[in-house]
Parts: sequence; C-alpha cells; structure tokens
Amino acid sequence: MRPEATGQTPGVPADWDAPVDLAKDPATIPDLSSVDVPPELEKEIRDHIAKYPNKRSAALPALEAAQRVHGWCSPEAIRQVAAVMQVTPAYLSSITTFYDMFNTEPLGHHQVYVCTSVACNLRNAQALLEALQEAGQDFDDANIRGFECLGACDMAPMASIDNRYVGPIDPSEAPDVIEALREGRRPLPGRGLGDDGFKLPWDKDGSDG
Amino acid sequence: MAETRVLLEHIDEPGLNTIDVYERLGGYTSMRKALTEMEPESVVEELKNSGLRGRGGAGFSMGMKASFMPKGTMDKYLCCNADESEPGTFKDRLLMQKNPHRLVEGIIIAAVAAGVNKAFIYIRGEYAFVADILDAAVNEAYGKGYLGEDILGTGNDLDLVVHRGAGAYICGEETGLLDSLEGKRGNPRLKPPFPANQGLYQGPTLINNVETLFNVPMVIGKGADWFKQHGTDQSSGTKLVSVSGNVQRPGNYEIELGIPAREIVYGLAGGPPPGRKVKFWFPGGSSAPVLLEEDLDRPYSFESMAEAGSMLGSGAVIVVDDSVPVVSVALRLAEFYRHESCGKCVPCREGTNWTVKMLERIDSGEATPMDLDILANVQTNIIGNCLCVLGDSMAMPVGSMVKKFRGEFEQHIERAREAADRLSIELGVAAPPADQAA
Amino acid sequence: MPRPEPKLITFEIDGREVQAPEGQMLVDAAKQGDVEIPYFCYEPKLGQPVGACRMCLVEIEGMPKLQTSCSTPVREGMVVITTSDRVKEAQNAIVEFLLVNHPLDCPVCDKGGECPLQDISYGWGPGRSRFIEPKRHFEKPLEISPLVAIDRERCILCYRCVRFSQEIAEDYQLVFLERGDHTFVGTHDGHPYVAPFSGNIIELCPVGALTSTAYRFRARPWDIEDAGSVCLLCPSQCNVTFTTRDDTKVMRVLARDHSEVDDGWLCDKGRFGYQAIHSADRITAPMVRDGGQLREVSWERALSEAAGALKRAGSRAAALVGGEATNEEGFLIQRLFREALGSANIDSRSNGALDPEQARALARPDFAAKVPDIDYAESILVLDTSLVDEAPILDLRVRKAVRRNGVKLVVATSRPGTLDPNADAVVRFAPGAVEAALAGLAAALTDTGDLDDLARRSGSTAGHLRAAAELLGGAGPTVILWGERVSHGDRGHQAVAALLAVARHCGIETTAEAGLIEVPAGTNSRGLRELGCLPNLGPGLAAAESSGPSATGIPAAVADGGVSALLLFQADPIRTNPDPAAWEQALDSATSVIAFADFVTPALEEHANVVFPAESYAEKEGTVTHPDGRLQRVRQAIAHPGEIRSGWAVLTELCARAGRPLPAPTMPGIFDELVQVVPFYAGLTLEEIGGRGVRWQERERASALGASPLPDTSLDAPPELPTSGLRLGTVPSLWSGRETQHAAVLRFLAPEQTLEISIADAERLGVRSGDEVSVSVDGRSVRARARVHDPVPTGSVFLVEGTQTDNATALMNGLPRTVEVTKA
Repeated sequence: MRPEATGQTPGVPADWDAPVDLAKDPATIPDLSSVDVPPELEKEIRDHIAKYPNKRSAALPALEAAQRVHGWCSPEAIRQVAAVMQVTPAYLSSITTFYDMFNTEPLGHHQVYVCTSVACNLRNAQALLEALQEAGQDFDDANIRGFECLGACDMAPMASIDNRYVGPIDPSEAPDVIEALREGRRPLPGRGLGDDGFKLPWDKDGSDG
Repeated sequence: MAETRVLLEHIDEPGLNTIDVYERLGGYTSMRKALTEMEPESVVEELKNSGLRGRGGAGFSMGMKASFMPKGTMDKYLCCNADESEPGTFKDRLLMQKNPHRLVEGIIIAAVAAGVNKAFIYIRGEYAFVADILDAAVNEAYGKGYLGEDILGTGNDLDLVVHRGAGAYICGEETGLLDSLEGKRGNPRLKPPFPANQGLYQGPTLINNVETLFNVPMVIGKGADWFKQHGTDQSSGTKLVSVSGNVQRPGNYEIELGIPAREIVYGLAGGPPPGRKVKFWFPGGSSAPVLLEEDLDRPYSFESMAEAGSMLGSGAVIVVDDSVPVVSVALRLAEFYRHESCGKCVPCREGTNWTVKMLERIDSGEATPMDLDILANVQTNIIGNCLCVLGDSMAMPVGSMVKKFRGEFEQHIERAREAADRLSIELGVAAPPADQAA
Repeated sequence: MPRPEPKLITFEIDGREVQAPEGQMLVDAAKQGDVEIPYFCYEPKLGQPVGACRMCLVEIEGMPKLQTSCSTPVREGMVVITTSDRVKEAQNAIVEFLLVNHPLDCPVCDKGGECPLQDISYGWGPGRSRFIEPKRHFEKPLEISPLVAIDRERCILCYRCVRFSQEIAEDYQLVFLERGDHTFVGTHDGHPYVAPFSGNIIELCPVGALTSTAYRFRARPWDIEDAGSVCLLCPSQCNVTFTTRDDTKVMRVLARDHSEVDDGWLCDKGRFGYQAIHSADRITAPMVRDGGQLREVSWERALSEAAGALKRAGSRAAALVGGEATNEEGFLIQRLFREALGSANIDSRSNGALDPEQARALARPDFAAKVPDIDYAESILVLDTSLVDEAPILDLRVRKAVRRNGVKLVVATSRPGTLDPNADAVVRFAPGAVEAALAGLAAALTDTGDLDDLARRSGSTAGHLRAAAELLGGAGPTVILWGERVSHGDRGHQAVAALLAVARHCGIETTAEAGLIEVPAGTNSRGLRELGCLPNLGPGLAAAESSGPSATGIPAAVADGGVSALLLFQADPIRTNPDPAAWEQALDSATSVIAFADFVTPALEEHANVVFPAESYAEKEGTVTHPDGRLQRVRQAIAHPGEIRSGWAVLTELCARAGRPLPAPTMPGIFDELVQVVPFYAGLTLEEIGGRGVRWQERERASALGASPLPDTSLDAPPELPTSGLRLGTVPSLWSGRETQHAAVLRFLAPEQTLEISIADAERLGVRSGDEVSVSVDGRSVRARARVHDPVPTGSVFLVEGTQTDNATALMNGLPRTVEVTKA
C-alpha cells in the first residue's frame, strides 16, 4: 500500500532505502509450531484455503483476515499467515505491498477512503479529503486517505468509511464524520449505500440506492 | 426521457436480494430451462444468436467466447469479473447489490453451458458490503440445490466462490484478475495463451463481466430474438450507463444502445449545472479518448463511438464542463494510471510516471510548449507497445486531450509560467528577467 | 510428459528464408538468420517468457500490433521484419523509457563493459533522452545478503532475479515489493536473501543492479580472462568459467552453461567457494614433521621421506582417496599401491565396501540414467539423499522437471527435506531403515510379500509405500536418484539389493531414458570407483587380485598392525568418516601419515609426517567422471601458488621412487594409460571429451564392461526397528565443507550443530527451539542447538555431518544409532 494516492507528492515506500539486517535469519517458511496464531484466525485461513484448488489463492482473503485481527499487515501478522499457509513471508509481502487495501504500517482501525479519482475530483472530492484529514488530525485511530476510483461516482464526493459507502458528503460535514468515528457511532446515518431509505438527493425513484 | 427497464427490472422491489422474492418474480426459471430443457451447445448457440456483447469494455461476443472453451474433461473455470474499477463506472455495483441472484443464475447457466464446474466472482475488495450480499445469495442458492452437486438432478455440479480483491485496478484486466485470483500480484499475463485455453490454474477459463452474465438469464428465458429487438444490429440489448462528473443527476441509467449520447447526458443525467456547458466527455470510462460537445449527437453504441475515435468501453460517461481546466483532468487521470500500473512492463511503468512528471511541470509553470510535443510523443510511444491495455488507457485519453485542447495547454503553460515567475521574484529566489530589470 | 520432438519449419526474417525448429521462440530462431533481436527479460532458463521489457518487439506480417519475439513461437511461413521504422521507433522508445530511471553511472559500475543495457542502448537506442525530470533515487549500494549487493537505481525491473528465486530455486525469498513505478526488488521485512542458489541472480542481472560482494570493484572486464573448467566442490560437477587475473588469481566463478550437466546454474558454494583458493592459511609448500612440528622443506626431502615411508610399509600401506581426486590421481594412487607397494588397502568410500557384483550391476549402461533424463521422466524417486546439500544442482533439476513438465516426484528419505513440498508422494522411513523401505516399495510394486510388516519395519506406512509405488510403477521412464549412504553400513549389501529390485520393478533396464543416478559422497566418487580406488575392485570394476579392508576397517587394521602407513589424498577422515575417535587413534598409532592437503587440520598438525600441498580445483589438470558417467575435463585456470606441484606429478614421482615409473609421465600420458586399463573407457581421448564431456555409456566401448547377470530380486527380511530411544539420522549440510570455513564470504554460512526434533519429542523432553541439548550414545555426545521442526516424525532426530565442531560423525559407527537427548 502506498501512503499517498492523490499523487500530489508521490509517496516513497518506507523501506526502499533500508538495507537488510544481516543479523536476521533468512525469512523461510515458518514452522506453525513456532508461531502463535490465534485459533480463530487459523481456522478462518484454513476455511479459505479449502475453497480453492490451489492454496495460494487464499492469500488475499487470509491477509485480509489477518489485517482485521492485527489492525495492519504487521511482520507478525504476515508470519502467522505464512505459517498457516506454508508459504514464505516474502511471498505475502509482495502481495500486501501491491494491493491498496493492505496496510503495511499501523494506521488506525478505521479506514476512511475518500475517492479522489477522475470523476469524483470533478465534484469537490479533494476538498472533502482535506476537510476530513483536518478534522481527523488528532484522531490517530483512523487512516484517512485519498483513494483511486471506488466505483461510486454517482455519490460524489463520497468516502468509504469502514467499507460503508457514504455520500454525497459536504466538506462541512467532515467534523461530524470524525466525531461519530471517535464515539463509535455510524457516521451520517441514512446516507450510506444500503442504509434504509438511502436515496441520492436528485434521485426521484431511488433506483440507485 | 424514460428508461427501458430490462436489466433493472424489479430493481426497486423490496427484498429482491433474497431468493424468495427473486423466485416469486420469476427468478431461476431460465436456469431450469437451460439445465433441463436445453443442451449446453444450444445454450451457447442461443447466446451467440442474441448478439450479446461483453459489457466489460472490449465488447466481444459472449456466445463466441463461450464457444472457444475446449470440450473435454479437464478442470475448467468461469470467472465473473466484478472488479469494477474503471473511473466513472459503477453499474455492476448496483446490479449485484440489488439483484445478486440474477448474477448467480447467469453464472450457473453460463458455467453449465461451458462445461465448467468451478466458478468465481472476483469482486473488488472495496465492494466488501456488496460481497457480503453476494455471499448470502450464493449460500441461499446452495441451500436450494442450485449450486453444489447434481443441480436439479441434472448431474451438473457447480461450485461458486465469491473472491474479494484488495485494491488494484489492474485486476480488472482479465489476466491480471487470474493472477490475483491465484493469489499473486495482479500482473497481466502475456497473451497468447488466451484464458479460454490456459487461464486460471492453467485450465480453460471463461471470463465475463457482471452485466454480461446478468443478461444471460434474459437471453435464455426470453430468447435471442427477443433480446435482439433491443439496441442496434451490432449492439443488441440494453446497456446500463453510469453517468458521472459535471452533471446534475449522476447515476446509472438503462438505455437502448444507439440512442443519441445527448439524451443520456442531458435527458437522463440533466446536463451540466446551470450556466455551464459540456467541454468534453469520456464515452466509456476514463480510458476512452475524450469527445467534444458536438459528438453528443452521435448514437451511443459500440460502433459509433469507435467511429468517433473513442470507445464505448464499460459504458461510463464522465462529463467535464467548461469550468474545469483540461490540464487538471489530464494530470489527475495520468496520476490514476501511474498509481494503478502494475509495473510489469517498461513503457507503461515508465511512461505513466514520465507523463505525470511532465504534466506536473506543465501545471506548475516549469514547462515550455515544446514539452507538449514530447508529452504527445511519449503517449505515441506507449500506445501499442505495452503488455496489456493499461498504458494505452492513459496514453489514448491524454493524447486526445493534448490534441484537442492544444491551445488551452499552451495557454496554461504561459499563465503558469508567468505566475511562477512572479512568485519567485516576490520570494527573491530569482532575478527578474533582463527586460523587466532594465 | 514425453520429450517433445520438434520438426524444422521455414520462415522469413528480414527478407531471408531461415529454418528453425517449430515452436522455437522467434528471438532465438532469428539467430539462424544472423538477426539479433535485443532483449532484457527473456531468459529461457527461467521458464515461460514474461514479456515485461518489451525490448524484443518485431513486426509480423498479418498481426496489426508489434509482437514480442520472446513469446512468439515461429511457425511455417511466418514473415518477420525487425528493421522497419516502426520496429526501430519502438526499440528507441523502449530504451528511452528504460533509461528514464537509470542513473547511467557506468564509469563506476562493475557491469560496465559487460552490460547488456550498455550494449543495447548503444545498438538500438535513440542516443539521447528527452527526460529532464528527477530520476528516482535510492540509497546505494545496499546489501541484500552478505554475498550480494543491490543497486536499486540501476535496476530495470526485468524480473530475472525474482523469477529465479520464485520459479527456479523456489525459495521465494526475493520478490517485487510495491507496484508500478514504485516497484523494487526486496525481501520480507529486512531479512537477508540467504539461500543455496542466491548467487545466480548476480549472473542473471542484465544491468549492474546485483553485484557480488566478493567481486565488487575488484576488476574491470578488460583486466580479466576466462578459463573454462569444472567445479569440484560436489558431485554435481557443474561446468564453470573461472574469471582470472594475471593467470594467478581467480576473481570469480561463473556458470558455463551445460544443459546436460547443470542447466547453467551454480550453487553459492560453487560460486563463492573459490575464495578458499587464495586463503592465507593454504599450504603452499611441502612439509615434514621435524622435531615434533610440521616444517616447510624442499620437495626432494618431502618426496624422499614419503617414498621411504611407503616403501617401508609396503603391503601395510593404506590410502584414503578424497572425492576431489581426479581420475588420473586416483589411477596413480591405485597403481602405486597395487603395483609398487603390493597393497590392496585403498578406499575412496567412507563407510563400508561395495559388493563387486553390485558395483558392476550399478554400472550397467542399461541401468544408467543421465541428468537430462530427469527432465522428461514419468516419475522420479529421490532416495535417501538431500539433493540440495549433496548435489545441489540436481535439486534444481528435479524442481524443474516437476514444475515445467509435471514429472511425478516421490521422495523417500528419513529426514524431511526441501523437495517434500514438490513431491506427489513422500515415504518417510526411520533413520537407518532404508532397506525396509525399499523392500516395502518392491512389495508394493509387485503386490507380493507382507507389505504391512515391511512398512512397520521401515517406520513408514503401507499407504505411503503404496502411493509411491503407484507413481513409480507406470510404463514411462523412472529415474532414481539415490544417496550413496544406501550402500553404507553392514546392511549396505542388502539395501543395494533392495534398491536394484525396486529399479527392476520400475522397468529400468527395459525402458529408454530410465535409470539410476547415484549421488555419491565425493565429487569424483564414480571415476575413482571405476579406476579401482576400492579395496576389492581394480580398474574397470574388475575383481581385485587381493582385497584389503574398507575405510571403516582401517583403524582396526592399524591397531592390529596390519596397516602401518596412511596416505590421505585430499581426504579428511576425522571430518567425513564415521567414528572419528577411532580415526584419531589410527592416525596416532600409524608409523607414518602422508597427506595431500590444502589446509593443516588439527589432526594433521598432530599426526602427519609428510604433507604435500594439494592443488585447488582451479589449478588441477585432468579428468573427472560425473555420477551419470560423463567424463569431463578439469582445466588448469591459474598457475600453482607457491611451491605447489600437480598432484599427478607428485604421485608419478612417488611411483618412480617406489620402483614403478610411468612410461609417459605427463598428464595426457597418464590419461592414455588409464583408458587402457578401464576397458569401457578404451580409446577415449582428451579431445573427444573436449569442453562438454562425454558419457562412456554412450560410446561403443560401453559393452566392454562385460555382461553381468541381472540382479536377483528376491530379498532378505529387513531387520526390525529398535524399540526404544530416538533414532538418529545424519546428513551433511551444503555448508559443512571446508570451503565454508576458508572462503571469507561464505564463513557466515558455516552451520552450527543443530538437532532437528519433532514437536512431540520436544514437548516430552521439555526442549524448545534454540535450547542447547546434548545428544549422546555409548558415552559419546555432541552438543547441538535444538530446532523443533514440524515435519520431523516422532521418534526421529537429525544432526548435521561434517561440522567443524560437534560433528555428528562422532556418534556414528557405521550402524544406525538410537540416541539420548538431554537439555544441556
């Protein structure tokens, strides 16, 4: 995952200038007995593996599960997945760094993705991102970031807040959103896709909701 | 104007996502027909006859694609491409969220016709809430015996797994999708071999977009002839169009292919905000070369958009009005493709990166009009030289913007340079030009 | 999967009609028409093309877009254009794109002068760049392991190194991280890339991004010369090119691609072990014991003392011949002993004699497989050997067969190994129970005998044996790669009988491209055996006139006076043979100990009377025989350092002084003589062997081996397993040899003694990974660090052979052992 998606200043991966630590052992496939995997996580990963003809196919769902448990794809989370799947940690690292939804740094439990892609950008998305980032400045538990097209250009400007698509959001509503996250409430009730009675403001018959 | 409601039939019916409501409204009857009254070959034949073209972007005949699947007892796969990530596109989200069983039914029919017994829905990870809805629908279908072993006692087996992606546009490219589904980085593969011969796990694989499969129950239930009544000769059926950007009513609209584009942009989506004019528009997602206001009178169909030098693609219309500088759209677009380039092939990886850097300079006043020639030439150097279409998907629209708005680009450069010069003089970091100093 | 047989087709390239094998990639086929198509990512050794660099785009008639010639197989009638403006524009574009982020720091780059990026930019690039933006910058160079440095600025992300790690070595430690233009080559969380074959990425890198720590900044391409030879550090006998400087120094070792030997890969021992050649500790002059100490002396003195001692001992002299001896050296030693000294006490094996009948059966050409047979076999049996440790390049070969050609793999070993995840069936027998496992396999293959009982005696299960037999019993060819240790110990004879029975049940003698390949303990074990460096077999595997004790019997023979002088030719029994205590005693009691050695070991320091400086493999001239019967030439790459003389010359001199001078005392002369005494080598010349070697089985004279009866397939009942204690298995590590100790860059790999133990046994004993434990038997013990390893079966434990300290050989006596493990 790259820290910056808005492309203003291309973010540089944190570890691309870091030498390896020669004192470490090579990261080979860990023995399961040497890793403390939470039993529910191990079961979930095994269930995923069972669904596919090839165990490697379970990598994405397994890492998603581990991220849910650990908050991010930490080296320990990766080691646990590697031990259950019997693959090398590097194989998993190559995946976590490829896909945007995996966090390779601890960035908070709430994932707030503001779509700033081509279509949303025509509808004030950048202002919404800035407003949310400002409102969330001292709220460490949320990863508030720009994100490429979320497939919700009809709701622009919008954000995916912990996988709930909310929009359109006026930048002035940003403090409310952050406040709700802080207090463990659902932000902007009724304004999320799939909420009861959800409708776009200009939508008369509600077919988009 | 009114929409045709074929794909969106019953879409507002409460509880349509449950199997009970879906079946009450006639759901799964096409599946029964296909499995109990038809041979797989005749299902494929019907799909071919319907003229149904893929709705994912390339617009290839769905029936032909299915007929390429080799016969034989090897493991074959079907992948439903639900990695809807093309900027401007959000139609599949609506279909899956509201009417998941119709997709499941379409998959069952297509899979059995193609001799497949393992199917996947690859859905982008950001659509987690839709994936949950699909999971529930798949479970219901298993519960009814529509999935699993010996479906309806016909001896057909089919497993269906909803597989979530994790955030990568490139996984919408069919071979990138396959690599991702195999648990790898979503890098596109060289073609040939094509997926129909060697796809998922090296087995023959049929890959179809959500909307395409969504059409299948209708084609089978009502027949190819009925289907062909909709749309044009070469683009049959209705099409779900996602309209976004500077319009008053962004949203999904179902249309007959071949209606004038203006009816979509103005009639359905309400046109740009009052006082604004359409400056340019993308007829088929952000990868499509842009068209101008006057192109709105063209019929909206696969062939007409191609004639205009663009493409219908996924059917996503992004409208840009005259308040927006073209450079900012080009830059945002290039940044998107740079971010989403998988990095596997050189012209795409380096070309998208280089393009962004040039556009940044153009935007910030550090460029000269000569840079526009380099910018345009770099796009030419990308097109046709990449492993997959991602590089072209940036180069074609950016190239079209430079070509169609060259004057505005040049003006932008001049203004930005003047502004930058003024700023650096104010900050004292640069001497004023000689003529001003004098 | 059967080997494909391509037919020739005709296609047109740049106006010329050219013939090429159908299906060959255009980029290769173009060479038939003298057309060079540039490329970076294409490397057929790495498997399917990836088409990432786009450098090889060409125009093909009928195709609207340019095509990558690396992934386009040629077809009959294809018309290809590589010189059109369109193609040139594309080539210019790709070079320009490639250099967008390349630093062009060629003047300080190791690769400069031998760099494909330089050559292709020069030959196919636009000659200028329009890129004026900042390039991406990295810290450089960074170590990616103690052996390899990475310069990420120079990297063009061609995929070669990561494909090697993922698809050839399959260690999957080196990967691409991030994506798009942020992509970079790296490892997980700052761990080093340490794996047996990691150095190959240096040679694969088409730019200066991956460089060898040992070679960095040591030479420019115009300072160096190439010298082709063969690596003698293990039985794989990989073909290598020594990069030399001033004819005196080996600067690096590169692969000399030989598809029938090594596929163009090297292990890191082979790639970096050359450093031991130039170790300051190396012996470079002859020494004799003088006043209780080894002192450098003149050749004359050393030779006369050695010759005198050997003559005095006469038939009571004994020789151990190390695996690095060439055929010429082996031949001379057995000639010296048998003909001049009248002694039959010669051995090149470490653990018991080989039955003469079995030796001849094993040598039968119809029982022999060659290395490339692995690629397209129907099934492979890897038996009682850890290929990655004992013949590493064959580990890669087996992986390739499984991955690319779907060859079925059966692994039958007691220790869980690196090939297990690739295997279709695993037979995990108890350490020491290979005979029972083979008898079980034989029973399962023929559906006779009491399979359950045999399975019980082997420590495996009937189900596993049946599954293995199912895969091996097909009609197609089976290749059996078996470890020499099958033939070790006092049941070695029965175990080999069982091996031969299994081979016959797999139809080995009647199926083309099927056969056995032995993985011996020594590099040239096969050549030494065929030349008579065995106590009971003379040259040509002929029955010896008289027999001596095998190596295991020599300590006892010394003790009872049957042997009084020991010649150790590049052999170190303390390190490699069972029961080092007995050997220590033997060296102490022997009247004279004469050694050819490159380093003074503690045992030599204490016991040797004469030490001749041994040549390194870069200094030798001679021939060796690959385990599959290929005679290969070892060529002298650098001059002898110090006073060192050729091994053959010293042995020739000893022969002369012992009264049996050679008619033609030159290396070719000795070779001519040895082919005369081995009937199935007859007529071979050094020219015929040439640079690629020749398998004697493929020559007409192979029949001169003489018909031996097909071995009997009826087998004795194998012994029962011991009922108590932990069964000890021992295996050498790739890194337990002396090269690791003496090559500075490899030293970090020297293994410390490790006890692999099962989860259940560890729990029972209260041992955790990392704990120090003591492993003991009969009052002897070694210390080891415990490693709880999931796949180790309960009841088995494993130690490493050949470590510098706490060597597992201390617990061995030629028999399977049960040991006690206690926390230290």
